[in-house]
Amino acid sequence: MRSKIRLLAVSMLAIVAGSRPAAAAVQVVTTTADLGSLAQEIGGDRVTVTALAKGYQDPHFVDPKPSFILAVSRADLLIVIGRELEIGWLPPLISSSRNAKIQPGGKGYLDASMNVKILEIPTGQITRAMGDVHPSGNPHYWLEPDNGRRIAQAIRDKLSELSPADRAYFAQRYSDFNGRLAEAEKRWTAAMAPYKDAKIVTYHRSWPNFMERFGLDVIGYVEPKPGVPPSPTHTLELIAEMKRQGAKLIVVEPYFDLKTAQSIANQVGGQVLVLAPSVGGAKEASDYIKLFDYDVNLLAATLKQVTGK
Amino acid sequence: MIWEILPLLVWPIVASLVIAGIHAYLGLHVVERGVIFVDLSLAQIASLGATLALLVPSLGGDPHSPAVYWMSLGFTLIGAAIFSLIKGHEARIPQEAIIGISYAVASAAVIVAMSKSTGESEHLKDMLVGNILSVQPDEIIKTGLLYVVIGIFHYVFRKQFLLISTDPKTAAARGMAIRFWDFLFYASFGVVVTRSVAIAGVLLVFCYLIVPSVGAMLFAETIGARLAIGWIMGVIVSMLGMYFSVEFDLPTGATIVCTFGAVLVAMAAVRVMVPRTRAQPV
Repeated sequence: MRSKIRLLAVSMLAIVAGSRPAAAAVQVVTTTADLGSLAQEIGGDRVTVTALAKGYQDPHFVDPKPSFILAVSRADLLIVIGRELEIGWLPPLISSSRNAKIQPGGKGYLDASMNVKILEIPTGQITRAMGDVHPSGNPHYWLEPDNGRRIAQAIRDKLSELSPADRAYFAQRYSDFNGRLAEAEKRWTAAMAPYKDAKIVTYHRSWPNFMERFGLDVIGYVEPKPGVPPSPTHTLELIAEMKRQGAKLIVVEPYFDLKTAQSIANQVGGQVLVLAPSVGGAKEASDYIKLFDYDVNLLAATLKQVTGK
Repeated sequence: MIWEILPLLVWPIVASLVIAGIHAYLGLHVVERGVIFVDLSLAQIASLGATLALLVPSLGGDPHSPAVYWMSLGFTLIGAAIFSLIKGHEARIPQEAIIGISYAVASAAVIVAMSKSTGESEHLKDMLVGNILSVQPDEIIKTGLLYVVIGIFHYVFRKQFLLISTDPKTAAARGMAIRFWDFLFYASFGVVVTRSVAIAGVLLVFCYLIVPSVGAMLFAETIGARLAIGWIMGVIVSMLGMYFSVEFDLPTGATIVCTFGAVLVAMAAVRVMVPRTRAQPV
């Protein structure tokens, strides 16, 4: 019985493989460059990847262009960050594309947040007193190597489902990526080890996963609430808190204004550091692993200066 | 040009034509009245209403709930009432000053209210500033029907509306209730602008309102001729802007706005180089 099934499977595989003229690449569209990089790692030459938002753009606000609709309309697979990150621009794009495959819940739709570690998920009832709360957790989860690994696994499984003949190829590419990532993680952990529990401030809540992974303590945010520009009282409170706790470093995303952060840093005698929150956010951060290389090196070098360790 | 994209752009194109249609007409009134920025002001007042509605805890902060829509409509009507009351030929304070003040205060109040909002601000920005590339069929059909109703209303009372816009003194001398008609004008105008801004964004709506009317004034004196030129210009610029947006892969709304500017400059150049055949205006 088993051999019969195997025979059947092999012959079906042969038919599938034979009917594919020179391996038609799976058209993958991702909302961010980070997902694009991971999809490329796993898909290799069996996929064509288009990432919509550039790494230096704020992924909350992306101005749709005609090419986006075209890309989504041709996609076999759409990979999104989810957790409402793209809520301002993606849903109309998906419905305008009239592509049945990639509608939410469809076979060609992958929400990368389904199997990753999400922080800041509110527990219990959300009330106004809690301030600005994101009901499904912080969407900047890709900034943690282990989450990158889990996203890569999800992409491997999804691509294998869409293109079963290449299952072994994707599995091999995943294990190669996983090996390189594990190797790099040792490097990053070692580079950040001297600065464990260093206190820092970030502009937006983009870095909880990253900072938790490397043991840094985020004591405040330049924004009083996500998406709300700094207010005077909040800024003064933040300066006082930074002085009290001895925090000297403010991490800013490339798409935010540096002025407020710079004046706070001047007040506390600290420094402002622009890190890349996404692949392509800096020239050197050209893929997922290089993104961490870039951020970790820069962060470690700056922490060395401000902490004197 | 990638022709493959055309079927995907059907609804943005329909939306731009629907907006061009009613705004080229309303723009004639607005330019005649000299209240150029009234649309920005009314749209911002409507946004303030929507933002405040989102703060009401019982509504749960859902930007698509009907209460949000009614609240923004209510604020539009309040704005219309203010603009119709402040007008008076004996007034020393220019109407444009009041419009500017309303705009600034309403914009700032939105920011203040947003800082107290429990929802993510992305929702708000998404709701207040539309993107013409993202319009959905049901949205544009509903909007089109609404504009037809308002268009019929303006057609039925065209004599009153035109007289008050072009010659308020004669209208007053004839004993017309100017404030009442002004209120009707600003109210219907506010309803249109609020819908359009939600679809196409502030900049684009402003251009659809003002530029065709100004372009038409270069070449024609009568209202009918201006309206015809305004409509033709609105349609041509929409199509041209869409084409540039696809050809060079640029954000659609902003590209149409720039196309409006370029076409207006070209029209002005033609106007200067080609002397008008008719010396006397009709």
